[in-house]
Amino acid sequence: MSKQDHILTVEVLDQDGSTFTLREICERGECHAEFVIKLVDYGIIAPLEDSPEARQWEFDIAALSRLRKAQRLQRDLKMNLPGLAMSLELLDEVEEMRREVTRLNQRIRQLMGE
Amino acid sequence: MDFKDYYAVLGVSESASAEEIKKAYRKLARKYHPDVSKEEDADTRFKEVGEAYEVLKDPEKRAEYDQLRKYGAKADGSFEPPPGWQSGAGFGGGGYTEADARQFSDFFEEIFGGGRRGGFSDGFGGGFRQNMKLRGEDVHARIALFLEEAFHGCEKQVSFAVHEADEHGRVIPRQKTLKVKIPAGMREGQHIRLKGQGAPGVGGGEPGDLFIEVEFAPHPHFAVEGRDVLVTVPIAPWEAALGATVTIPTVGSKVNVKVPKGSTSGRKLRLKGKGFPGKHPGDQIVILQIAMPEKHSPEAEKLFEQLAEAEKNFNPRSKLHV
Repeated sequence: MSKQDHILTVEVLDQDGSTFTLREICERGECHAEFVIKLVDYGIIAPLEDSPEARQWEFDIAALSRLRKAQRLQRDLKMNLPGLAMSLELLDEVEEMRREVTRLNQRIRQLMGE
Repeated sequence: MDFKDYYAVLGVSESASAEEIKKAYRKLARKYHPDVSKEEDADTRFKEVGEAYEVLKDPEKRAEYDQLRKYGAKADGSFEPPPGWQSGAGFGGGGYTEADARQFSDFFEEIFGGGRRGGFSDGFGGGFRQNMKLRGEDVHARIALFLEEAFHGCEKQVSFAVHEADEHGRVIPRQKTLKVKIPAGMREGQHIRLKGQGAPGVGGGEPGDLFIEVEFAPHPHFAVEGRDVLVTVPIAPWEAALGATVTIPTVGSKVNVKVPKGSTSGRKLRLKGKGFPGKHPGDQIVILQIAMPEKHSPEAEKLFEQLAEAEKNFNPRSKLHV
């Protein structure tokens, strides 16, 4: 049986609460801890429990995706951290609005009986 | 091999200054950045723009390119470099540090890729020495699901590119295809992980993982908000006025719903637990919409006249203050 035919069962990350420590997120993001700390300082990504009692930071998969996006934007568009923070917030907003527009268009089509 | 007109890609003239080229590049890089643009070919355009800039920003490479350009693309758009062509501005001298060489076209490779064909691995990354143990790269991909697939779970084929080193230590992209079983109840924006399905490790290092983010293809009837599924259901005026039991669609099935007497357009009915399955299943929200027949029989018209008389105090435009 070739590899393609083999059906793999996936692990749903957002449901079972898989998280990454600071060390793991650095390893997967191929970056230094300082960079992650700066992203947290600027509110670009946030650890799951940012409380004094939390012994160490834990990040979810969404934080990892965002870290990688931040890296790409920084590398490709030569952005500094405040610019990066603002761009990512605006991109989130744009994304949310795009979804809203899609939803509303769909509602309008339904109301028009199309 | 197709000739690449880097000036056209950046939208500048042949005589553009270095400053103009930089400006054009920056603008297009922002426009087509795959994290910013939703255009379908953004990724390709972004790479093209990066490749064009890589050549035109470097006076040495630009001069070589200009020369080749004069030498000429053939009428059919194809291109062959002059016999014995060798770039003096290739990888070695060109400051090839920031751009990702693996992303560039065959054309670029042919013209400036001399360094890559010979001992490219020595200079690039340097991570393939035998004594080093490196974990393989994680790969991030997206998968579009139909609502029904996400709802009930499905088997799906995913294709993605992983960068692997060949026997000479050269990094080359390889297309990989896997069949994966998507569990029921996945929602948009959720991630799944396939352990060890990313790029292979180096020197005995473990392979990276594959992360897939779920997207939904638009559905003609249903919309999704969080765990809830929304559907607009048309009902007849008499069904709204008198109440009725109507059959409505749910994802992959149908169900009978009681429309309460005296319903108005826009009224929402909540079907508990008929939304996304899971530990805390969502609801299906039915939005009622009163529909009218396009034509009425003379009898119906008479009845409407009676209705108008009986309801003459009703002003549907009271909110418009008219």
